[in-house]
Amino acid sequence: MHDDVDELIRRRTQVEIPAVVEDRLRGRLMDFRARVEQRPPSRLRSFVYSVLAPPVLRPAAMAVIALAIVAVGLILIPPQSRVSQVYAAAAAELKSARSLQYTVVLNSDPYVGVDFSYLAPGYRRLETSWGIEVRTDGATGKQIVLMHGIHAYLNETGKTVENQGNIDDFSAQLRTLPDKADETLGEQWTGQRKLIGYRLHEAPPNGSIPGLKNLDIWIDSATREADHVDITVQENGKPEHQMHIQNIRVGAGVDRSLFDLTPPSGYSAFVVPGAKSSTNPATGIEVSAAIGQTAEMTAVVMPMSGSYAQAATALGAVSDSLQKQGVTPTGPPLGRFWSEQHWQAGYPVPPGTQAEAPFEVVTLPAGPNASAVVNGVWGRDTEARWGAFLKSVVEQGCVPVGPAIEIWSGEDGKPETQSTEMRIPVAKAK
Amino acid sequence: MTERQQEYERLIAPIEDRMMRTVWRILRDPDDADDAFQEALLTVWKRWDRIVAHPNPHALLLQICIHSAHDVLRRRLRHGRRLDAVAVPENIPDQAASAIQTISGAEQDAAVLRAIGNLPKNQARAILLHTVEEVPYHAIAAAMNCREATVRKHVARARTKLRVLLSHLIPAVPKEERTHA
Repeated sequence: MHDDVDELIRRRTQVEIPAVVEDRLRGRLMDFRARVEQRPPSRLRSFVYSVLAPPVLRPAAMAVIALAIVAVGLILIPPQSRVSQVYAAAAAELKSARSLQYTVVLNSDPYVGVDFSYLAPGYRRLETSWGIEVRTDGATGKQIVLMHGIHAYLNETGKTVENQGNIDDFSAQLRTLPDKADETLGEQWTGQRKLIGYRLHEAPPNGSIPGLKNLDIWIDSATREADHVDITVQENGKPEHQMHIQNIRVGAGVDRSLFDLTPPSGYSAFVVPGAKSSTNPATGIEVSAAIGQTAEMTAVVMPMSGSYAQAATALGAVSDSLQKQGVTPTGPPLGRFWSEQHWQAGYPVPPGTQAEAPFEVVTLPAGPNASAVVNGVWGRDTEARWGAFLKSVVEQGCVPVGPAIEIWSGEDGKPETQSTEMRIPVAKAK
Repeated sequence: MTERQQEYERLIAPIEDRMMRTVWRILRDPDDADDAFQEALLTVWKRWDRIVAHPNPHALLLQICIHSAHDVLRRRLRHGRRLDAVAVPENIPDQAASAIQTISGAEQDAAVLRAIGNLPKNQARAILLHTVEEVPYHAIAAAMNCREATVRKHVARARTKLRVLLSHLIPAVPKEERTHA
């Protein structure tokens, strides 16, 4: 009787899922699996649901469990510990997040904000009030700023300020929250959601927003996920102002189609130490490597992983640490790079200098090294320069045998004084 | 292997393909399918402990996928987006007979999806789980948290409505019944 309808529905819904769509959904599943595996076990809830499953026992079981929860909640567990668990869970999730997405909003006093209306072709404008939206992929270290013109959009008493540094700092700040907050700010309701506020008075060491006074993080008490962050900043001699990080999405899937990996005209991709992809050799940039012996060097460094844009922050932290010890660096700052997941930034120091975690004392061994100095700002041609440099090394009958090293000289904000030494340990090719 | 990994292997891994296919069958649009699938995973995340302890977790997971996809389908219909446009393939081979068949098939697909989108939630869930996913009545009842008789009632009502809505595709339907549509 009803076979005709069933047959029609069955026939018209038996379609194969296209490979492109399957890849996309499978990506969602992989993200989901990662989140599930990081989720702390909740034996109590599992027990409750298993007791509730047989319908006959449901009313009695519910009453017993409700009483038990009330008793445990009101009598046995101190309220403070529950509150701190919410914060700890959110901080841990932010630290291990595969990706972080958020919107940065800056207040209008004393800064003047500009509403960007420009949208690059192929990009989707997401929930943006004014300011900028940054998407960071923590796994690959890639960042994408959806608004065009991340530079020079703030105006402070007539002086144009570049804000690239702050963008990186937000990401680092969220990923380096301490395990415990300094203060609890109470509750706040947003619709049906209860948010609990926590205050940090000092910037975490790896995420130093200059002049950070307070960092207030509001966490959804049910999901234990960060909802938004209010940051109060007061730099020396400047008025206090606030920044807000909103629409925080942890571990959300990054839409790969938003990334254009095709080099722009005139540029090509190169094999660099630790890089995953390889393409054509350099065409436009020439760097000549000089092979010579270098002396042993001791350095205090901070081990890093993720975006190289964190280098300035890491150097600041190392510098502060050395200053506290009364140690004067013996040369300009340097970085050693194995891969984007493993690199170091720090300063050369006199032998015998001590360091405490997270800093490390390392020795750059004496031996044959290839070296070249590039004058001016060390900018977006980095990969092309390294490609040309390594090509020159190979042409001279040598092969790299250690991590790439960059030594940065000069003063910030004065491009004419800046130069970068590219260096890499080498051996004769067999 | 951690406890969570074991749970994932037991609950999700065996029906990953089925979950994706379920959503795609109802929506046939990459963006809509992506949205629905994310919503479904969010629901699974929120109810994880309940699913772990559920007597028939696979039926419950499919029910969640169908629920999310049906929601998106209804939204799409409310906003007046055409289903025909997504259902008709762009490249149709240049052979008259098969081209006509292809278009006709695509139109029928769209009509069926539109009819399912117009069903009440419970009826749509019940008939999709029963007819398309071939989940037994008792498992659907467990997934929908109701009695088996209620599920049968939902399925029967859904069939009646679909028979009217799709009368032009079912030649056996009597004329009187079609005129009531």
